[in-house]
Amino acid sequence: MDYEIVMPQFSDTMEKGKVAKWLKKEGEFVEKGDVIAQIEAEKALMELQSFRRGVLKRILVKEGEEVEVGKPIALLELGETLPEVKLQAPKEEKPTLLEEKPPEVIKVKPPEEKRMELAPGFASPYARLLAKEKEIDLYQLQKEEKIPSPAHAKDIEVFLRERHFTPKALELLKDYSIDIQELLKEFPNKKIDQDLLLTYIEKKNIPRKVPLSSVQKSLISNLSKSFPIPHYHIYEVFDLSLIPWDKEITLTHWLIKIVGDAMQFFEKLRAIYKEDHYLIYPSSNLGVAIAVGDDLYAPVVKEVNKKSLGEIAKEVRELRKKAEEGRLTQEDLSGATFTISNLGMFGIRAFDAVIPYGQVGIMAVGMQDQEGKAHITFTFDHRIVNGFHSALFVKHLKEKFLDKNYLKMLKREA
Amino acid sequence: MLYREALNLALDHTMEHDERVVVLGEDVGFYGGNYRVTEGLYAKYGPKRVIDTPIAENSIVGTAIGMAMMGLRPVAEIMTINFAMLAMDQFVNQMAKLRYMSGGKIFLPMVVRMPQGVAKQLAAQHSQSLEHMFASIPGLYVLCASDSISAYYGLLHAIRMDDPVVFLEHTLLYGMDFPFEPMQNFDPFKARVLKKGKDITVVSYLKMVHDVIKVCQWLEERDGISCEVIDLTSLRPIDFETIYQSVKKTKRLAVVYEAPKSLGLGAEVSAKVSEELFYYLDAPPLRIGGEEVPIAYNRKLELMAIPTPEKIYSQILSWSKRHGL
Repeated sequence: MDYEIVMPQFSDTMEKGKVAKWLKKEGEFVEKGDVIAQIEAEKALMELQSFRRGVLKRILVKEGEEVEVGKPIALLELGETLPEVKLQAPKEEKPTLLEEKPPEVIKVKPPEEKRMELAPGFASPYARLLAKEKEIDLYQLQKEEKIPSPAHAKDIEVFLRERHFTPKALELLKDYSIDIQELLKEFPNKKIDQDLLLTYIEKKNIPRKVPLSSVQKSLISNLSKSFPIPHYHIYEVFDLSLIPWDKEITLTHWLIKIVGDAMQFFEKLRAIYKEDHYLIYPSSNLGVAIAVGDDLYAPVVKEVNKKSLGEIAKEVRELRKKAEEGRLTQEDLSGATFTISNLGMFGIRAFDAVIPYGQVGIMAVGMQDQEGKAHITFTFDHRIVNGFHSALFVKHLKEKFLDKNYLKMLKREA
Repeated sequence: MLYREALNLALDHTMEHDERVVVLGEDVGFYGGNYRVTEGLYAKYGPKRVIDTPIAENSIVGTAIGMAMMGLRPVAEIMTINFAMLAMDQFVNQMAKLRYMSGGKIFLPMVVRMPQGVAKQLAAQHSQSLEHMFASIPGLYVLCASDSISAYYGLLHAIRMDDPVVFLEHTLLYGMDFPFEPMQNFDPFKARVLKKGKDITVVSYLKMVHDVIKVCQWLEERDGISCEVIDLTSLRPIDFETIYQSVKKTKRLAVVYEAPKSLGLGAEVSAKVSEELFYYLDAPPLRIGGEEVPIAYNRKLELMAIPTPEKIYSQILSWSKRHGL
């Protein structure tokens, strides 16, 4: 019996996943719970465990390929079931996704057909036309084995390309949509190298195509989904002068702790909105916006309310390191209901931010001025918190930032 | 909208606006049609306009011809194309010829609708694809529909034509749900380009169109081959202009159909393209059709006899590789 292993959904917002690496080969035996592949989704690398035991019969999705959640990625030929399982009532163990009928897959192996080979002199009618147009001696080139026989249009295109461009220039061409014919007209009878091509690109102001990373794709898709959500902003200037932050425990770390504690008093800040109900979580889980190169991550510090400042500082550093090394797991990235984004260190006075998809809100922290005051902008999902509650939350925070005893206590615990 | 609902709607709409339109066939009235295409029409228009006939295909087509000669616009249903064999004299010698032989005095504004193709284990006598038999008769128009849009607008167009039309459906399509959108100026004699592409032109019709679209997605995703898919909504005449335009661009042609590969629409389309566009071709045209056998009852053998997405995929791929794509 064949069992389809499908692309799992590791988080509520995951729509697609990429098979980063297959850890089992076709024909290899797989025990229940074995990690069979690494899946890259949204911003993280996750391990895909097998729910069944059997032989990995066929891999349907190659490494590096991206497929939608629920699409089969491999076939498992189920092996013998363990005897104790047989005695129990037959309880089908399925990944949650299998409830929906998986889409059809290609069950054929691509044919291992070789291209036709004939003695020099043969070509498709269209290839002949092309050869004539480009004034190349097809027969001669076929005899020299520079063009195969029978020749097709593609062979001539490849030949022409290699004749006109150096390998490095060809490599460069891939990143640009350039009209080759026009380019060749510009430099007749000349082999085009990298430098010449770059000059041409600059002269014509041709844009370079930069494919989006899966992190960027997921960010863009989440932002686009998030922005239409009915939201509103609250702007306020906070006096943060009493917060004794330093290089070890930064202002961001302090804010995570203080906001995390405050969230304990406001259950809506720990909520997730579903169609007809809220899910209210007991812990204060906060996301922290971290930029790494072009990518933006918001890993989550969990149970902030139970952790000391020192622990939080350590954890945020660890998360940043993981982000830089591309090691963030789905576990690291999920579970937050509120996020903090701090651009104060860049001298930004005030800004507002888009709510991370699925969360209640985000606070955007600006630069502290000489008196220690900072502009903070809150964005809230109006479906979860209304203005009254958020105003109370902001007021509460304001008081906490000035609560000497509370701050002292936090410092002591750190 | 379900395919059969689209057909039903086309009948309903024309019957509502034109009382000359009548429906006749086996079980089309009280029972609502073997494939439920005429459901509800009997109740709405009564036994005079929705006529249950005896099991006598020759008479059904003959009666429809007589009705059309006398000014009605009959839409006859033959339960499946297999049974149309009993009525071939009416189709070939009467329906296709009367306008010519009367010097243009007799018009036959009639339609004969029938499904064809392999459904599921209906065995050799109920599973045939015989479109080429009708498409090879001058004097007939042969239309076919692959989805709800072409079913509704195609049938509407067929009923409004003043010439005899054979309207082909596919047994498996009836229960299939397709997106429907109102269209203006739908012309069944203009082939539809369902998907744009640059490497291969794939021509198909009826149910195979959907398999072809699926295969083209695989080819694009897995092999980087981009196909242009053309759906023929008329098999006589065939809109070669659209095919030529596409092949001039792609330089390669594949034709996919369910009927046995030989002597069918694939032969016609590839021959025409070879005649007209020989010097544009970068590979010999490819025909993908059924095996040269009567369709078996056994499900496995049945599927072996006709193209399936898997078979279409591997045939197109091996053909591309062999011919330097």
